[in-house]
Amino acid sequence: MKAAVLRYRVMAYVTGVVLIVLCFVGIPLQVAGYPAVANDVGVLHGILYIIYLVVAWVLARKLRLALKPTVIMLLAGTVPVMTFIVERWVTRRFINPALAAQTQPAQPVRP
Amino acid sequence: MENAAPATPAEDATPAGTGPAWRFLIQPRWVGWHLLVVVSFWGMLWLGDWQFHRAITGNGLSWAYTFEWPLFAGFAVVFWAKTIKDEFRIKRGLAPGSLAGSPADLDDLPVRVRAVQASTASPEDDEDEELSAYNAYLARLNAEVKHHGRWHGWRN
Repeated sequence: MKAAVLRYRVMAYVTGVVLIVLCFVGIPLQVAGYPAVANDVGVLHGILYIIYLVVAWVLARKLRLALKPTVIMLLAGTVPVMTFIVERWVTRRFINPALAAQTQPAQPVRP
Repeated sequence: MENAAPATPAEDATPAGTGPAWRFLIQPRWVGWHLLVVVSFWGMLWLGDWQFHRAITGNGLSWAYTFEWPLFAGFAVVFWAKTIKDEFRIKRGLAPGSLAGSPADLDDLPVRVRAVQASTASPEDDEDEELSAYNAYLARLNAEVKHHGRWHGWRN
């Protein structure tokens, strides 16, 4: 579980950064007449997104997420800045409770 | 509530014998999901075809997307198939994506823990790590008690 979380986090941040570069550097340059950055970064994001898709899906299945959060997680990789927001949300809402449930406490945390 | 749809917790499932297990597939929510998958599958294939036409007319960049879109389309189908398979497993009272009682699956939570978590933990609660840990502990106790009864045939 922890390895899956780490893989997901790494890919969420890498894919997110590349998408931001694509949208806020590549696209303006393309509009200005220099398409090289958008082309290269676009292909890079395409490849990274495939990896993100697989990694995020593996984690979603480990967390036994329902359909809606799973789809939100997968599509986050295509919307600028969204991977960061969704990563925070998934961590708070699903990863932390799942990890807490895994580590068996000796006694209740709260009496 | 995100955790509720459409993977209904095992508690809400129709007990065995009151109807065919596949009945959920024709619920409106699931029909909507089937339609969404069909539309996105053909949409992505169409996008792949469009990129292929761009590629053969000289846009070299489009070759990458020519292969990428069908890949995504295939992924959508696999995803859809897995959601259905999981739902069948939940209906049978098994954890989705795992063999029944497989010891290799200790890494994963039992499905009932998740169901209980979904009902006890609201997004605000998760701010408090201590509280969510306690909730998870209660959920696990609850699941263990339920499973215990199940093993002895008291509950199904």
